[in-house]
Amino acid sequence: MLGRLARRAGLAAFLTIFALFVVGPLVWLALRAFSGTWQYPHLLPDTWTLKWWTQVLDSADLGSSIRLSLVFAPVVTIVSAIICLPAAYAFARYEFPGRRFLLVALFATNAFPKIGLFLSMAGVFYSLRLMGTFLGVVIVQLLGTLVFMTWLPAAAFSSVPRSLEEAARDAGARPWRVFARVTFPLAAPGILVAMILSFLASFDEAQGTFLVGAPNYVTMPSTMYELVVNYPGQVAAVFSVLLAIPSVLLIALVRKHVMSGRLAEGFQLR
Amino acid sequence: MSESSAAATPDGGLVLRGLGKTLGGRSIVDGLDLTVAKGELVCLLGPSGCGKTTTLRMVAGFVEPDHGEILIDGRPVTTLPPERRPTAMVFQNYALWPHMTVFGNVAFGLKLRKLSKKEVRDRVGAALELVGLSHHIDSRPAHISGGEQQRVALARALVLEPQVLLLDEPLSNLDAKLRVRVRDEIREIQQRIGITTVLVTHDQDEALSVADRIAVMNTGRIEQLDTPSGLYDEPRTRFVAGFVGTMNFLPGQADGANVRVGGATVPCDELSALADSTRVFGVRPENVVIGSEGAPARVVREVPRGHFREVILTIDGADTDTPVRSYIPVGTPPVSGEVRVRFARAHGYPDESAAAVEAPAPVTSGV
Amino acid sequence: MTRAHRLRALVMASPPVLVAAAFIGMPVVSAVMFTLGYSGGFNSILADIGQHEHLVTGAGGTLGAYRDVLGDPLFRQSLWATVLVTAAATAVVLVLSWGIALYLRLAGGRIGKILAGLAVVPMFIPVVIASYAILEFYSPNGFLRSLFAALGWSNAPVYGYTMVGVTFGQIWVSLPFGVLMMTSGLNAVPDALLEAARDAGATPARAVRAVLVPMAKVPTTITATFTAIGVIGSYTVPYLIGPSAPNMLGPLMTDTFESFNQPQQAEVMAVAIFLISAVIGAFYVRANLRGAKEGKSK
Repeated sequence: MLGRLARRAGLAAFLTIFALFVVGPLVWLALRAFSGTWQYPHLLPDTWTLKWWTQVLDSADLGSSIRLSLVFAPVVTIVSAIICLPAAYAFARYEFPGRRFLLVALFATNAFPKIGLFLSMAGVFYSLRLMGTFLGVVIVQLLGTLVFMTWLPAAAFSSVPRSLEEAARDAGARPWRVFARVTFPLAAPGILVAMILSFLASFDEAQGTFLVGAPNYVTMPSTMYELVVNYPGQVAAVFSVLLAIPSVLLIALVRKHVMSGRLAEGFQLR
Repeated sequence: MSESSAAATPDGGLVLRGLGKTLGGRSIVDGLDLTVAKGELVCLLGPSGCGKTTTLRMVAGFVEPDHGEILIDGRPVTTLPPERRPTAMVFQNYALWPHMTVFGNVAFGLKLRKLSKKEVRDRVGAALELVGLSHHIDSRPAHISGGEQQRVALARALVLEPQVLLLDEPLSNLDAKLRVRVRDEIREIQQRIGITTVLVTHDQDEALSVADRIAVMNTGRIEQLDTPSGLYDEPRTRFVAGFVGTMNFLPGQADGANVRVGGATVPCDELSALADSTRVFGVRPENVVIGSEGAPARVVREVPRGHFREVILTIDGADTDTPVRSYIPVGTPPVSGEVRVRFARAHGYPDESAAAVEAPAPVTSGV
Repeated sequence: MTRAHRLRALVMASPPVLVAAAFIGMPVVSAVMFTLGYSGGFNSILADIGQHEHLVTGAGGTLGAYRDVLGDPLFRQSLWATVLVTAAATAVVLVLSWGIALYLRLAGGRIGKILAGLAVVPMFIPVVIASYAILEFYSPNGFLRSLFAALGWSNAPVYGYTMVGVTFGQIWVSLPFGVLMMTSGLNAVPDALLEAARDAGATPARAVRAVLVPMAKVPTTITATFTAIGVIGSYTVPYLIGPSAPNMLGPLMTDTFESFNQPQQAEVMAVAIFLISAVIGAFYVRANLRGAKEGKSK
């Protein structure tokens, strides 16, 4: 009896601390975005205000960086899809020399730390005259999406039973039609997750964009670094809330698919 | 433990008393009573959803009954967790651990009981020899066939020398020919060791071949608990009549020593299970006798069935669409056209709507 | 498959590989060359702007830059800090992921769903924001100190701008992937296998140890390696939450380039991180190949 009570109490304590650990910082930040004066050690702001919001939304710089982020992310996602989806299909359905090696190599590109990479990449970009260009930023953000757009859709394509495709061909459909009417629709949830994760990867990409894009193209995350240093904390807080909104919305959309438990299959090497 | 329960439970037996379980608002098992004698093999037979697997899992300890009790060898085990019950189960999909060899799988329970290495090896060896798999002792489950995996599961259960052996649809994943051979092997081993066994299946053929007694279950209750021949010869409810063996069902009423079906009157040698509420008659095909006397009927078709012939006929005047089937031995001359039929034996059952569940229709082939 | 088919498949699979080879592979190679002293080609601009460089002309590289970096106490401190934070964060993420996944698997219910739901929240938030939020949360007038002050302890520790805070941040950011991976991995083990263990006499804890742990080896390895690789090369979390020095290697690298104007030495650090990541990644590849081999024999 005591054992059970102790277990429940322990569970409750863990749950509380865990909830604080995870959600606490976000709530704290959100509060700051609306706070006027806030003395230590009060747990809530003393006065509330919306002035920081007007300040941010009125600022031309901040506004343009929001717009830019919303332009780059879809562009990068689409380019990534065009480049990677055919490859994902090939990885899933065909056996060819070097298949496994290439899959791992793609993943390995994430292993080299971004900062070190960007220094050298700057060299390449300078030579190709890509520094400070729209294309340059697209390429930089694209690199962060390659793994998502190949591995996850490859797993999605693999999970479509071949027998369904064979039945379609048996009924007279040509390969392209089979793909469009059978394979793609069934793999669509996995591909959607990949696209959303790519969108967010591009949206959140800060270091590379800052390196390549500045001063012509400054996106929201790059601005964030500057904000933290140069503006009052509340402005950074407002910006943070704004920056978080697309993420929350998008992932809420695909939450079911991501949490459906198929993720592990996507990251296993076959 | 009271006097009466000690007297009621034979040594080493299994007793289920008033067992009940409700899941998701539905009553899966409803007031179930069953006594299995030591060394007896009782089958729980029924369609899917009848509660047989849930009952088995309650005995094993994986499902907690809402009410009722379970006694093994006179000892109540209802509140014991599965690891402390003297039961061992053979799972439907065998549940062999893929990361262990056959030896590892069978030895697992023994190692938990802290036996010496030599003792473990000896007992595993004996169990594998019992099921004829000594040559696979170091193989991995993924590398042996389905039938062999099933035997490993059996060895794993038996090596623990349980008081009750539980089998959950052990043959359903094997192909048809293998099924007959394996079920005989299981029965042979069970009788040799003399272990109290409960076997769950939906295949009445399987139940009729291996069981000492069969409990036919329907919507959480036992409709009839009897020996195989008892069930076949004297099915007590319409459900059991339709589930075990093949049966013709004709709506009608008793008329003296005859069965009146619509406008036809069929003479009957033996009428059983009669009551005032009798509205349906069940007649086994082998009891539909085609001969020189009886009600007029017309042959629709004759179907050769191997070691017997099936004759499909309609009885004149009987206002029912369902044809009547009759089995006749291979040697008899062919029948056609107008004939006369009588029933050697018929069982009466109350109105069809009184049956809780529609029994599955008799097997049709080539009709 | 015919040779023509195989070739076509290879061509189909090539675009992302080519992009990666061009914009990651090439810079990586040229970075490594740069660390060894080659200043031509893509490295020429970096070679021009940098200081304290060890350059060569012609063949035969130099390890001068490596000597500089490995001999630098600041680098060694930072390396040590990086290893510690990575090990600590990975360990905590593993424990939390296993714990939550196990609870969800065995007990389930509303509490399980709440735990799993909470654990996935960080996935919704960009790393930049998360780092800033965590910094503020543990700062001198952040939530932690305010809460303890309200409870009577006015001198609670400050974790902002400390390595402890950085570790918290790394855990926070890495948790969703770990939890998703472990829940998916544990769910892949059928109930019957656990039941069979209990039927044979194992307690629930023993059944977990004997059945779940071995069968979840691959997801566990994936969680550990992905988390470790992510933490080792990270920049944003340590930059925003950590102290100016000694910090993790990511910020140190950037500092070395931006403040000290030593791109060559910065690249040496990048190579060091890459080598460590590669070793960790090798574990992942090995675990996968072994897992695939066991699965193939079915």
